[in-house]
Amino acid sequence: MTDLLHLNWGLLAPELTIVIIATVITVADLVMNDKGDRRVFGWISVIGIIIAIYFTVNQLNNPNGVEYLLNNTYRVDSFGSLFKLIFLVGTGLVFIMAINYIDKKEIKYDGEMYYLLLTALLGAMMMASSADLITLYIGLELLSISSYIMAGMKKNNLKSNEAAYKYVIIGGVSSAIFLYGASYIYGLTGTSNIIEMASRLPNAYHGDYKFYVYLGSFMMLVGLAYKISVVPNYMWAPDVYEGAPTPITAFLSVISKAAGFAIITRIFVTLFVPLVIAVDPKTNQQMTFFSHELALYLAVIAALTMIVGNTMALRQTNVKRLLALSSVAQAGYILVPLATLTVVSVNNIIFYLMAYLLMNIGVFTVVTIVNKDAGTEDIRSFAGLYHRSPLLGVAMTFFLMSLAGLPITAGFIGKFNIFVGALIEDAYWLAGVMLLTSVISYFYYFNIVRQMYMRPGHTEAPLRVAYSLQLVILLTFLGTVLIGLLPNVALDFIANNLNINDMFNLGITK
Amino acid sequence: MDQIYNNSYLFMAIFLLLGIFLPFATIWVIGPFLRPHNPTKEKISTYESGVEPTGDAMVQFNVRYYLFALLFVIFDVETVFLYPWAVAYDNLSSFALIEMVIFVFMLAVGLAYAWKKKVLTWD
Repeated sequence: MTDLLHLNWGLLAPELTIVIIATVITVADLVMNDKGDRRVFGWISVIGIIIAIYFTVNQLNNPNGVEYLLNNTYRVDSFGSLFKLIFLVGTGLVFIMAINYIDKKEIKYDGEMYYLLLTALLGAMMMASSADLITLYIGLELLSISSYIMAGMKKNNLKSNEAAYKYVIIGGVSSAIFLYGASYIYGLTGTSNIIEMASRLPNAYHGDYKFYVYLGSFMMLVGLAYKISVVPNYMWAPDVYEGAPTPITAFLSVISKAAGFAIITRIFVTLFVPLVIAVDPKTNQQMTFFSHELALYLAVIAALTMIVGNTMALRQTNVKRLLALSSVAQAGYILVPLATLTVVSVNNIIFYLMAYLLMNIGVFTVVTIVNKDAGTEDIRSFAGLYHRSPLLGVAMTFFLMSLAGLPITAGFIGKFNIFVGALIEDAYWLAGVMLLTSVISYFYYFNIVRQMYMRPGHTEAPLRVAYSLQLVILLTFLGTVLIGLLPNVALDFIANNLNINDMFNLGITK
Repeated sequence: MDQIYNNSYLFMAIFLLLGIFLPFATIWVIGPFLRPHNPTKEKISTYESGVEPTGDAMVQFNVRYYLFALLFVIFDVETVFLYPWAVAYDNLSSFALIEMVIFVFMLAVGLAYAWKKKVLTWD
C-alpha cells in the first residue's frame, strides 16, 4: 500500500483553496451576528478564486503530462484544467454580481449564498477533473444540491420556491436515470474508471451485449441532458431561471452548463469514441458505433434543442425566461461539435463555452442592473436604456450580437467554427438547422435592442451602476469584442494547452 | 454468462411474485383455516409494548423530528466510517489520522451550523 502522505497533494491545490475558503466562510457566518454585513465574504471568495485561478494556470502545460491521485479518481489533465479555468472565472464574476444583488429583505441568509456558490463551484471542478464515474457523479451531485438550495434562496418568494422545488424533482429523476444507465455500462465492463471502461467496452459491444451498450449510453445521455438543459430535459429551465435570484441564474446558465458539457464530453469522447476504431473479430472490418448511431442521436437532440429553444423564446415577455430559452438554444449549438466529431471538436466546445461565459455573464449583469432599477423583469424594463446609460446600452448590444452570432464578437467566431466543423463532417442538414434557427434568434435578441434604442422609457434619469459591476461589464465586454477581433489569441491558447490524447491517457502518479 | 445475465430477470420475477403471494396466502387464504378463532377484549387491543394503549395510532409528529432524524443520520454515518478506521488503525499510516481529523472537523462544522440555526432547541 502506498503511503498516502507521499502522494502529490499539490495537484489538488485549486480545489483545496476553494474548500478552505468555503469552510472558513461557513464558520465565520455562524459566528457573525445576524445584522453584520456579509458582503465581505463575497470579496474573500473572489480573492480565493483568484488564488485558485493562479494554481490552475500553473497546472496548464504540465511537463509530466497527465498526473493522477487515488487510481484516477482525481486527475490533472489539460482538458480538466481548461474547464476549471472557465468555472473559476465565471464564478468569480458571478460573485461580484451577487455582492451587488443581494438584498437583505429578499435573501435573509445571504451568508449561505456565498458558501453554497463555492461548494457548487467545487462540484463543477470535480466534474472536470476525474476519470471515475463515481467521483464524477459525486461532483455532479455536489453542484446540483448546492444549486437546488441557491435557486430557492428568496425564501418568501413563491416563484423562487417553485423554482427550487421543480429543480429538485427534475434533478433527482435525471440523476436516477443517469445512474441506471451508468450501472449497465459498469455491469458490462466491471470498472468505474472510464478509461479502463473504454478499453473493455468494445469487447462487450462486439459480444452479444450491443443492446445494453445502447441502453446504457442512451440513459446516461438523457440523465445528463438536464444539466445542460437540452431536449428531452429542458422544460425546467424557464421556470427555474425565472424564479432563482439573477446571479444564480447566471451561475446556472454558465458554470452549471459548462460543467455538464465537461462531464458529457469526458464520458462520451473517452468512452464511446474508441468503439469507432474497434475491429470486428468475426469479419475483420472496422466497426462504426459512435460515428453513426450515437452521433446521429446527438445530432437529432442538438437540432431539436436549437429549434425548440429558439422558437419558444420568440413569445417570451419576461427577460429571464427569454434568456433561459436562449441558453437552451445555445446548448444545442454546443452539442453540434459532439455530434460531428472531428479532431478540433473539443477545442470548438471549449472556445464556444469561453465566448458563452463572457457574453452571458455580461447579459445577466446588465439584466441585474436594469431589473433592480425597474423592479420588474419584463422586457419593457429595457426601454430607453440607451438614453439613460449609453455605455451600458452599447455593451448590452454587443453581448446580444454575440449571443445571436454576428461578426466582430466572440459568439460569431465560436458559432462559425462549429458550423464549419459540421460542414466538414458532411452534416449539412444539421448545419442548415443551425443557420435557420440562428436567424430566428435574431428576432428576439433584437427585440431587446429595439427596446433599448427606440422605445421611450418611463424615466430619462441616468442609471447609476456600482463600480464593481462596471468592472464586470468592462471585462466581459472587452473579452467579447477582443476575442471577436483577434480570435487567434484564444484559439491558440486552447490549442497550445489542450492535448486531446490526455483524455485517453491513464497518466502517472508520483 | 450471457444466459445467466438475461435469465436473472426471470429469477427476479419469480421471487417477486412469491414475495407478494406468500404473505397474502398466510394471512388471508390458508391462515383462517389453521388458526383458532377466539378473540377477547385484551387480544384485539393494540399492542403497545405491554403498556395500556392510549390515544389514536394515527398521531401527527412534529416536523422537527425530521431535522433530528437528519442529524442522527449524519452521526450514524460518521460511526460507520470511524469503526473500521479504529479497528484497522494499527495498520494505517499517520495520514489516516489526519484524514479522520479533517472528516470529524467537517462534521463538527455541520453540527455547529445546526446548533446555530436552532435545530437542537425544540421551541
